[in-house]
Amino acid sequence: MFRRTALALVALGLVAATSSCARSGPDPAVADTSRGPITVWLSDNAQEIGWGNAMVADWNRQHPDQKVTARQIPAGKTSEEAESASIIAGNSACLVFNGSPASVPQFQQQAGLVALNTFPGAAAYIKARTGARAAQYESADGEFYQMPWKTNPVMILYNKKIFAKAGIDPDHPDLTTYARFVAASKKIVSSGAAPSAIWPSPASDFFQPWYDYYPAFIAQSHGQPLVKDGKPQFDSPAGRAAMDFWNTLYRDKLAPQEAYPGDAMAEGRTAMATVGPWAIAAYQGKVDWGVMPVPTQNGMPADQVHTFSDEKSVDMFTACKNRLTAWDVLKFATSEQQDGKLLSATGQMPMRTNLLGTYASWFARNAGYRPFADAASRTVEVPDVAGSIDMWQEFRDDYSRSVIFGKQSPDAALHEASVKISKILAEY
Amino acid sequence: MSTATATAPRSPAPGRPPATADRRRRFLPRVGHWFVTPYVVFLLVVFAYPLLYNLWISFHRFYFTAPGAHVPSRWVGFANYRDVFADPVVRKSFVNIGIFLVINVPLTVVLALVLAAALNAKLPFRGFFRAAFYLPYVTASVALVAVWSFLFGSDGLVDKVLGPLAPDPSWLVNSTWAMPVLAFFVTWKQLGFFVMLYLAALQNVSGELYDAASVDGADTLRTFLSVTVPGVRPATTVVTVFAIITGSNLFTEPYLLTGGGGPADASVSPVLVMYQKGIEQAHPDFAAALGVVLVVLVVALSLIARRFTEKGD
Amino acid sequence: MTASVAERPTAPRSPATAPGRPERAGLRPARLAVLLVAAVAFLFPFYYMIVGSLQKTPDSTIAGAVPHPSNTTGADYSQIDSAIHLGRSLLNSGIFTIGVLLCTLVFGLMAGYALARLRFAGRSSLLTSLILVQAVPFQLLVLPLYVLIVRDYGLGDNYLGMILPFAINSTAVFVFRQFFVQIPAEMFEQARIDGAGELTVLWRIAIPVARPAILTGVLLTFIGPWNEFLWPFLVTKDQNMEPLAVSLANFTSNLQATLVANPTGGIMAAAVILAIPAVVLFLVFQRHFTSTHIDAGVKG
Repeated sequence: MFRRTALALVALGLVAATSSCARSGPDPAVADTSRGPITVWLSDNAQEIGWGNAMVADWNRQHPDQKVTARQIPAGKTSEEAESASIIAGNSACLVFNGSPASVPQFQQQAGLVALNTFPGAAAYIKARTGARAAQYESADGEFYQMPWKTNPVMILYNKKIFAKAGIDPDHPDLTTYARFVAASKKIVSSGAAPSAIWPSPASDFFQPWYDYYPAFIAQSHGQPLVKDGKPQFDSPAGRAAMDFWNTLYRDKLAPQEAYPGDAMAEGRTAMATVGPWAIAAYQGKVDWGVMPVPTQNGMPADQVHTFSDEKSVDMFTACKNRLTAWDVLKFATSEQQDGKLLSATGQMPMRTNLLGTYASWFARNAGYRPFADAASRTVEVPDVAGSIDMWQEFRDDYSRSVIFGKQSPDAALHEASVKISKILAEY
Repeated sequence: MSTATATAPRSPAPGRPPATADRRRRFLPRVGHWFVTPYVVFLLVVFAYPLLYNLWISFHRFYFTAPGAHVPSRWVGFANYRDVFADPVVRKSFVNIGIFLVINVPLTVVLALVLAAALNAKLPFRGFFRAAFYLPYVTASVALVAVWSFLFGSDGLVDKVLGPLAPDPSWLVNSTWAMPVLAFFVTWKQLGFFVMLYLAALQNVSGELYDAASVDGADTLRTFLSVTVPGVRPATTVVTVFAIITGSNLFTEPYLLTGGGGPADASVSPVLVMYQKGIEQAHPDFAAALGVVLVVLVVALSLIARRFTEKGD
Repeated sequence: MTASVAERPTAPRSPATAPGRPERAGLRPARLAVLLVAAVAFLFPFYYMIVGSLQKTPDSTIAGAVPHPSNTTGADYSQIDSAIHLGRSLLNSGIFTIGVLLCTLVFGLMAGYALARLRFAGRSSLLTSLILVQAVPFQLLVLPLYVLIVRDYGLGDNYLGMILPFAINSTAVFVFRQFFVQIPAEMFEQARIDGAGELTVLWRIAIPVARPAILTGVLLTFIGPWNEFLWPFLVTKDQNMEPLAVSLANFTSNLQATLVANPTGGIMAAAVILAIPAVVLFLVFQRHFTSTHIDAGVKG
């Protein structure tokens, strides 16, 4: 009975498969030089949507013949899943204003991204706007598959009320070294000011290291990426120190092993959070916040601390039929004027040189954002390597097992991760 | 695996209708085909085609690309299967699902039968009880998982009630407890469905058997074991097989309740690994091979379970 | 699934515990005690969900399990209402679910009937596949299906594309088949002798007696598309096409960025909104799903 069933299914399945007609993508030669209506996708952040809709309205007023439609990416857990799916289906928007650099190698491999160098002057435009940091967004083949757009340099936001209650100076906490950070964390928990000191998500998603280990490693290593020239950099004294730091926080129960089903910072369940400036708007009116740099083993002046960029790029997808319009919109959306509007609407830092000088009056009115703008010039990106998502997942699995759940010594896990990641990178 | 026949012990042989009908039906072969055509087409498009596509993918180095991009997919034989078996997370996921089934299946069978037997009488609030048992079944996992994560969180109500008895680390981040909590959750969520199955099956247990047991002076427990349990054996087969199938396809619970199979892979499940590899990390070749292995195992396990539960017949 | 199996439409026999049958003393309180304990275990999480969704600030203490007037608000619900188009999402969910129900009822009943009462080549193979398909996890099929439906057939952001993978619920077909198998053959033979076609037999004879099976099938089928997240999430790019489960998931994943007052309450409120339609539908129809002999006895 099984054999007959299988045979029948095979035969009929083949019929179904062959009868489906394959759709092909747009012809690049035509699309690269075409203008016309396009669609762009925005992230689900309320402030970004506000900015995006206004930007699109500005554009449409000036270009009635090349109408832009803005939509929100269905987010789910990560917007990358929706983007990856849309590449396969060939129904992506022309531009997505939420591209994670970590996904670029994969999207590129899937033939989903348009190399921006196709457009005359693109590389020069990106380098002029972003400065030296632009090099981190150039792919190995020398092409830009993404336009660096805006960054949320990760710093430590803290709740001043909780600090005061725990007997820590809320205005000058000076938690620049690991020892001081841990001591203050112990005070917070033992005094009962908050049930935990800091609460990064302990979930096993590949991107979680960006908000716990990676900023600490970058700071400790004076701005090293996780991988350089195909070699993992973290199995090193700096990498081990950062690992040990987080391990202490988990071991001493200063950071919970469990995800908070809500927002621990907003609800006063924790005193600190590793976040970018976007969070200031989110915590407005809920948390009396202060900001400090990510700590290092022996302390470092704030203006020398490197951190993770949490950058988002704009990606142009190969499903786009009117790529010339898309490129013009991309330049329009990253102009000095639109970048200024983005900054004031969202508090996120455009990937532009000399932010403090260009938007001096805004920063004068919003002094709380100055440390972020300053940190934005010292950001480190996720490495642009093929197999990037696999690499981060491997790293997270080893980290989670050792640092968060204490099933293995962190040093051994770090070494293991380094060996496995070298293997993953060699395979691609 | 025609569980179907097992559930209908008293049906007068559905495949073999009386002779007159038999002759008549020989003239109507096409009507049957015509009736099942939409369903067959549906199965072909929605199951056979993707399943065969997956089988093909599982023997190639493959990833999905944008339409029009031609990337040759290399035949790699059993390389993807080797990768699957060599992956420690995959092995862990199969061990986990084993733990899950060992807790979930017996618990489901016993609780469902006990509750169905308790419901099978003229009682006040009977409708209310039955509705209560079905509610979790009809409600989305996503909604229920949210409540459970509050109840079983380290700061949750369950730990507050237990006080010093609460496990440390708490349930969902405790590598010993994470899988059992998921097994309890799924038992709780699915139980109403299985109570419904047993309740229906109980209607078929003849009252005379109970009366006979009563005359013999058997006590309640003896009657339950010697009359009720054998009387619903066909339903037990269905319950077991369905519990194995739903259990083996465990996904939403570890995905949402234990933060993606945590702590440290203690609650990772094969379908979760498949999802992470195939959809999140764009390795459909690995995911396809894992999927094929899983389907084969589930079918084999269901067949064994059927043999086992039907042994007495 | 075999709920209906046993409910023979004709020839009712004496049930195991007939309504009038005397019970051993002490058994009834024991039954009630077991049921009561179970009911509390089953209902408490629902109660807790509702309490949590009405709290101003989350309270996970034991006292927090009892609603307190000073900490009660409807704000969590109005947050959701302002963040997503609740009406539109409900409509999308409704169309998605009803589309699946209709396909399952029309084609599923036909298939179930044929599998039970008609003879044709390949019947046993089909019956085997009917069970086999339930062992295949949807996550395995989703990418090839996605390529087929969205890329090849161009059905992204389309109700048809949403409905297609769920169109005929195999479990429901199984339930229908099990039910039809048990209807005495004489009922059909009489109609056939009178010259009725098979479609007429199905419509006039089989369906009217199959009401409990159909309701069971409806319930089984309903919860699939109503609660499904992954597929409609992949298929819809347009917010106006998202069903409720997807909109609510987007809402909860986005709680921080939307600056809500009480994210915990927001998640609970979203859970309640998603649960209500399924629960209401179930409560309205529940006594029909399993109309056992006892119910018949109770209702007279």
